[in-house]
Amino acid sequence: MRWIRPLSARTGESAAVIGAKAHGLVTLHRLGLPVPAGFVVTTEACRAFLRDGRLPGGLADELASAVRDLEAATGRRFGGPGTPLAVSVRSGAGVSMPGMMHTVLNLGLTAEAAAGLAAETGDVRFAEDSRRRFLASLAAATGDARLAIPGDPAAQLELAVRTVFASWDTPRARTYRELHDIPHDLGTAVIVQAMVYGNRDGRSGTGVAFSRDPTTGENTPFGDVLFGHQGEDVVSGRSLTLPLRELAGREPAVWAALAGALRRVERHYRDACYAEFTFQAGELWMLQVRPGGLTGGAAVRVATELAGEGLISRREALLRVSPQQLRHVRTPRLAASARAAVVARGVGACPGVASGRVATSTEAAVRMAASGPVILVRPETSPHDMRGLAAAAGIVTARGGPASHAAVVARSMGKPAVVGVAGLVVGAGSVTAGGRIIEEGALVTIDGSGGEVALGSAPVSTDEAGPHLRRLLAWADDVSGGDPAGDEAARLAAAHAALRTP
Amino acid sequence: MSGLPGTGLPGIEHGAVLLHTLRCAGWCAVERLAVATGLDEATTESELIDLAVAGLVTRTSGAFAAWGLTDAGRAANAERIAAELESAGTRPALLAAFERFLVLNPELLDLCAAWQLRPVDGVLTANDHSDPSYDARVVARFEDLDRRAEAVCADLAGALPRFGRYRVRLAEALGRARAGERRYLADGTASYHAVWAELHEDLLVTLGIPR
Repeated sequence: MRWIRPLSARTGESAAVIGAKAHGLVTLHRLGLPVPAGFVVTTEACRAFLRDGRLPGGLADELASAVRDLEAATGRRFGGPGTPLAVSVRSGAGVSMPGMMHTVLNLGLTAEAAAGLAAETGDVRFAEDSRRRFLASLAAATGDARLAIPGDPAAQLELAVRTVFASWDTPRARTYRELHDIPHDLGTAVIVQAMVYGNRDGRSGTGVAFSRDPTTGENTPFGDVLFGHQGEDVVSGRSLTLPLRELAGREPAVWAALAGALRRVERHYRDACYAEFTFQAGELWMLQVRPGGLTGGAAVRVATELAGEGLISRREALLRVSPQQLRHVRTPRLAASARAAVVARGVGACPGVASGRVATSTEAAVRMAASGPVILVRPETSPHDMRGLAAAAGIVTARGGPASHAAVVARSMGKPAVVGVAGLVVGAGSVTAGGRIIEEGALVTIDGSGGEVALGSAPVSTDEAGPHLRRLLAWADDVSGGDPAGDEAARLAAAHAALRTP
Repeated sequence: MSGLPGTGLPGIEHGAVLLHTLRCAGWCAVERLAVATGLDEATTESELIDLAVAGLVTRTSGAFAAWGLTDAGRAANAERIAAELESAGTRPALLAAFERFLVLNPELLDLCAAWQLRPVDGVLTANDHSDPSYDARVVARFEDLDRRAEAVCADLAGALPRFGRYRVRLAEALGRARAGERRYLADGTASYHAVWAELHEDLLVTLGIPR
């Protein structure tokens, strides 16, 4: 086939052709890990679409043929009615562009197919929930809430592929590429996979996992899991996720399989990894993997420990940490001894640690700030909260990401902020986080790097990576003959220079 | 009473304008209200005192002294705004323009974040503005977005003329940033980000859409 490649261990294409996400899925196949059957439409097809304004000739036939292969592999029928096959349609460019492009889930669940799924599973609510999610995700992807969705599943698939291709060229995606030095002519691949349903039953769910704690670098899997839901609910922060380790108690077989998979991908990439997964009726499926991405003290700890485990050389450990990273190592963080007091986690939006009394409104923040530092806790912020933001020592919001109103204002004021704390409910005079009620006026401490909210006045440290940092810098001095009393970033930079000299 | 600067509108009462600005921008000091409305500070303060006598606004003292709406002020504004949209008969046009605003909104927020943070060696780092080429790229994207926002603002003002004031304030913020006062992009209450957030709030309030 010209425009489509199967997702299998034998697929030999580069990330430039099939995209980074599909490339990771091929790696998972090669490692013998469970990946839903599927195929990928290449970036070349996207470039043809962007050039000509329509799908390239022959692609429709290739899609039909690839779907037939998928039907054969899964023993299901696209569009049903009996044992219906539904697919996910995801973007996947050669370079990461988080949040810029869309995903369509449960595609192929026509009204007829949904009825077939209900009959097959004996669960009408599950089938209807899945169809509703399909309609909503396709409408969101096309940006047209009044879209007439075709009844024919093949036409649905073509529409979804066109929509993902077109999303490459939205002004917002163009802006992202301009700011991140990504060429405009790369295009995105489209990954089509048989659905696995995280919303299937109580033994199903979805989650994200790091092979090592991204805050500290500690060698223990870390992440979020959400029972009975599909992937977009975790990423959107709309639902209450649980710490990943809850999986060990509720689904020990899934936990064991996931922990094993994370170890295996780490060995392969010789680095800490990030993964997305779904489990359906107690069975694990891997949906995405990518190496690296840890920063600051966590990056230092992972590099030195990987060298200690013999996975990488000391030379490589040194090169994995940029002198720039060391600037972040000394940012004040919650001390390790405060971890037990952490009651909620979100996204760190402005680094630094702040302690203060919880205020749930701007009025309360202004009033309470007269007698000591205040942490303003809001569902999200708007211009109405400007006075509260000005009065507060730190900011926490339930909704929003690193570009939300609260995040932008907090950074402009240089105040530690944690945004997007899933499951945080702000009531009148109290907040609920992690199942606990925190009254207005209670003392909390927030860490705007790691995104943690801890009860009480928690201890702060600027040396969390201390022993690991000292070990790495000793290696740096060995390489460069550098001065152990010198500036930390300069010592590492000297080692990099020595290692790069042929 | 003269009109509201930037809208070319005669006959809008200053008091009503101030009341609505407080509803969209939250508690404000006189200086900020004057900038937002385009009125001078003396007029603004005198109008606020009249509104306070009527029980529609109140003033707090202390470190964060500011004027804000009373419940009666909020109710009076809500009634007026609803009647205004009703009599203009332009709800569908305003709603359509609001949907186009919502397409631009995440991109504007991305740009503000990109102005404050930039990836250095793969790590998101506070932008110390030491790289003029990066900053120039962000400003160029602001200008590109602003051209598209101008068209949306024109549609909004076509539906309700008072929205024309936001176009004036956005253009002023971008103009000052372009002239070197870069804090007018994402810092402070007269920045592009702050004016944009007030416009967002105004649209939600005017259309009666909850957050």
